[in-house]
Amino acid sequence: MAGAAEATRGEVRVFAEYDRDFEEETDVVVVGSGPCGAVVAHQLAQAGRRVVLLEEGPPFIPSEFELEGSKSMSRTMREGGLRSTRGSILPTMQAIALGGGSLVNSAICVRPPEAVFQRWATGFDLEITNRETLDRHYDEVADFLGIAPTPEEVQGRRNTLFRDGCDALGYGSEPIARNVRNCRGSGECFTGCRNRAKQSMDISYIPAAIRHGARVLTSVQVQEVLREGSRVTGVTGRVAEPFSGRLGHRFTVRAKTVVLAAGCMATPVLLQRSGNLANRSGQVGENLQFHPGVAIAGFFPEPTTPQFGATQGYQSLHFLDEGFKLETLWAPPAVMAVRMPGFGHPLQEIFADFPNMAVWDAIASTHKSLGRVRARRGTLDPALTWHMHPDDVPILKRALFVLTEIYFAAGATKVTPGVNGVPEILYSRDEADVLLNHPIQASDLVCGGNHAFCTTRMHGDPARGVVDEYGRCHDFDNLYIADTGIFPQCPSVNPMFTGMALAHRQAEAILDRT
Amino acid sequence: MVAGPAVFGRRAGLRQDHRFESRPERLCYGRVVFWILLATFLAYTIWRIFLGYPQPRRAYRIVAPREVAFLEAAGEATFPAGGAIPLSGRDADLPGYADGFLESLPRHLRLQVRAMLMLFEQATIFFPAPGRGGRRRFSSLSEEQRVAVLDGWSRSRLFLRRLAFTALRAVLTMGYLGHPIAMRHLRLAPLDFPSPIVEADLLYPAIGARKDSINWTEADLCESDGTPLDPNGPIHPSFRGDER
Ligand SMILES: Cc1cc2nc3c(=O)[nH]c(=O)nc-3n(C[C@H](O)[C@H](O)[C@H](O)COP(=O)(O)OP(=O)(O)OC[C@H]3O[C@@H](n4cnc5c(N)ncnc54)[C@H](O)[C@@H]3O)c2cc1C
Ligand code: SF4
Repeated sequence: MAGAAEATRGEVRVFAEYDRDFEEETDVVVVGSGPCGAVVAHQLAQAGRRVVLLEEGPPFIPSEFELEGSKSMSRTMREGGLRSTRGSILPTMQAIALGGGSLVNSAICVRPPEAVFQRWATGFDLEITNRETLDRHYDEVADFLGIAPTPEEVQGRRNTLFRDGCDALGYGSEPIARNVRNCRGSGECFTGCRNRAKQSMDISYIPAAIRHGARVLTSVQVQEVLREGSRVTGVTGRVAEPFSGRLGHRFTVRAKTVVLAAGCMATPVLLQRSGNLANRSGQVGENLQFHPGVAIAGFFPEPTTPQFGATQGYQSLHFLDEGFKLETLWAPPAVMAVRMPGFGHPLQEIFADFPNMAVWDAIASTHKSLGRVRARRGTLDPALTWHMHPDDVPILKRALFVLTEIYFAAGATKVTPGVNGVPEILYSRDEADVLLNHPIQASDLVCGGNHAFCTTRMHGDPARGVVDEYGRCHDFDNLYIADTGIFPQCPSVNPMFTGMALAHRQAEAILDRT
Repeated sequence: MVAGPAVFGRRAGLRQDHRFESRPERLCYGRVVFWILLATFLAYTIWRIFLGYPQPRRAYRIVAPREVAFLEAAGEATFPAGGAIPLSGRDADLPGYADGFLESLPRHLRLQVRAMLMLFEQATIFFPAPGRGGRRRFSSLSEEQRVAVLDGWSRSRLFLRRLAFTALRAVLTMGYLGHPIAMRHLRLAPLDFPSPIVEADLLYPAIGARKDSINWTEADLCESDGTPLDPNGPIHPSFRGDER
């Protein structure tokens, strides 16, 4: 091993610069640079702690963004964007990049309503996880990232049509608050913001952390958490070549405190591969939940110019009590097209109508649909199992119906619901009743699940959860988890903001204790 | 060990009773017929899976001639010429797209996608196309037959068949709609605009390069001015040509 380096100067290291095995020693090592890990790293570095942030993916600059959907996914997403659960088949995407999911997500920032926290508190013995205590953390993150409602000028027609439809039906809707500054409405959040408007972690918290002295090592795959007796002592792993994943030099980072922020799929795998660490409760990798989402397209008589507008500019929280949230959506056309029905000339005709299209989606709170994450031999990619509970299917049915209703209220002439056994195209509000009346099963729905949680859940009772309310592992004093895996249940709204608020609070707890 | 004819012969020699004499011979013939059938089956399988495909017009890094033939045939059935978009599946260079896509995937997923292509090419044995020769390989069927086969997959009552169809169509669609001609025709090609230079650009080099390759300085820093983009503005250079 090369000599140990002092982790005092802020800098970033990239793949081309690793020419030997290495060892470092620091106060805190954070594994994973997604929204949660980046916030913890920044807060601790700002407070003067020596921080090393480790990230398996590379940093992306605008010239590296692929504009074509599948090429982009193969570069920025784990398993080329083709990751999926077994049991009920649910495609799910996790990023591999500096900034984690924030590089490819739509920057939607929503605080869950108090009812969600009440559910968490009563179900999981939590005392200090509520809006009152967390609002300060939400506020600080919001100030830092410039979180604000999407301005009207960059909404674009496909977003405002959603508002029109909701207004016509008396459903509440509002512009989505996003961590974005000076959006120009390119609708390209999914492939990376070439406009540098989206405040993804790689251009916001991470550069700021570096300014405060953090060392950011990219293209390093952490493979094991090191332990001595009742404490963890650091992590070890190997340099990973961008895209090919080929493994090279070995490294070890020794630290007084270890924060795992590798995401709710990777963190449990790391724990399982480190001798089933922190798992006295038996809950590591269990309780996997998603917000299964359905997206449907509506076609309007006039052009919607869909290539212009904020990627996701409008939302409705009107139906949260019924278990779903509605949003507008855009992604590269080739990705959108995957959900269109049929083939041959009829499919091409649908494509030809894309300039008049708007796509909206619903994400559902499906508390009964659970799964698990398991380590697989020879890889850190997880084996995922998940089952959609039959009781949760009616939530998605109802969401599909409401979306269709909004489309027709906004003036759409046809809607493609994408449900097996239901007509491929619906031409009127009356025809939409089939979505409620037809006996739809889980396997009839084409869902996706990019919001994932609960695999290392927090619980007041150490026998029933992996971490406490500050994200500290019940089994280890100096091991923390900071990612959406610590959510006790799904948050019913987009998770990133809550993940960051919890991470912000966790950083304060670490500072208090070390 | 598999018992061969000689073994049966020796055993037969121990028995004088004529009732037993013909049995080893029958078994012997049975074995021969079995081996011939097995060899024929194997030869047919090898031929069906690997042989008789035309040499592709150009070289590919990953996709084999059989996959090129399948992708062109499936592309033509899924996106026939003369449709609402002036680009047919055959002209969209789907094998070229699949080549790059497969190359970018981890090994186990690459194997899965290639297995899926093979499944569709060969599954006409079990789910034949209507009409004469409906059990030929998918790529050898007539266009009407291919359409009928895909229709069968898309409307199947078996969830897994429908799922496989959705996966195949996703691969074809991503290749088709990602093509510059299709994107331009739909007026959905990404726009061309300059990227502001932010603090991060002074920190991160291009992927694979070293930091000393970064040419920006603090003097170059600027930020997005938030002006809404003009949807009729110039399109990104990578979507201006006719090839992907
Ligand atoms: C397409 C898409 C759109 C989305 N849109 C939104 C949205 O608009 N709003 C919202 O709230 N949520 C959205 N989400 C979800 C949101 O992005 C995630 O919930 C969020 O990124 C989770 O943050 P995290 O820090 O827990 O994990 P991640 O963002 O997954 O970050 C984990 C990081 O750890 C790294 N890592 C993993 N394993 C290792 C290892 N062994 N060694 C080193 N590094 C490792 C990963 O590469 C990754 O960078 C979206 C997700 C997707 C995929
Ligand atoms: S819509 Fe475009 S400009 Fe706006 S944040 Fe997303 S990628 Fe950036």
